[in-house]
Amino acid sequence: MAIQVHLDRLLAARRMSLTELSDRVGVTVANLSILKTGKARAMRFSTLDALCRELNCTPGDLLGHAPGPQAGGDDPAGT
Amino acid sequence: MSLLPPRLTLPAIRGLRALGPGSVSNLLKTALDVAYAVLILLTVLAAILFLTVAVFPMEALDLVVEDDDGGTLIPLPRSHALFGVGAFIAYFAGFALILRHLRRVFRTLTLGDPFDPANVARLKQIGWILATVTGGVWVGQTIVSRLARNVMDPPSVFNLVTPAFSVLVVFVLAEVFREGARLRRESELTI
Repeated sequence: MAIQVHLDRLLAARRMSLTELSDRVGVTVANLSILKTGKARAMRFSTLDALCRELNCTPGDLLGHAPGPQAGGDDPAGT
Repeated sequence: MSLLPPRLTLPAIRGLRALGPGSVSNLLKTALDVAYAVLILLTVLAAILFLTVAVFPMEALDLVVEDDDGGTLIPLPRSHALFGVGAFIAYFAGFALILRHLRRVFRTLTLGDPFDPANVARLKQIGWILATVTGGVWVGQTIVSRLARNVMDPPSVFNLVTPAFSVLVVFVLAEVFREGARLRRESELTI
């Protein structure tokens, strides 16, 4: 994925755990983990807003872009 | 006396629910279950008939083909009889297989997850089976009409139009389900 989520970096800078962030923004740890590992396909504005509010950052701090191959796996049937 | 026009009142229409007892899906499920059971029964009966024709001597069964006028009698050799019964077995088994897939598709619908990626493969298989069975019926009818000349007319190419249309509909539905499954997956990974 060309879009990178710098969640781990921001969490480390604020000495905050994923569980604590999960409690604050109301997103499950599993979903935050998907976001952190770059497996997410999209993010709602409401989630972005909550993350920026709790991490005291801007969307630009949270998201980055690195040129790379497009994400695959659009064929769920595998055909 | 009131000068106001009479109010039109419509009787309340009780629509069928989407899911649950008394719903459209419940009726369809019952229809699918009954049709599947009937086809399985017919397949088993046809298989028993196949074995009977294969084991018993044909003279004892005295099988003949008769035209509508009751004129010429064409003897039915064992190989032709086996071919005919075998064709019926394939026909019933093919539709039973289609219904088996349809029942599984329906199960995902009742579970509230119709855009399961497995349904795409199931619908495609239904399309291929439908094409094979209906194409096989047409080929079988052509062969039988050649074997029993002046008794049965060969099928027209136009007889294939409706089956081809049905197969096309199933493949289009499979593509719709593929897109549905892709959207579902994307929505699952939207945080």
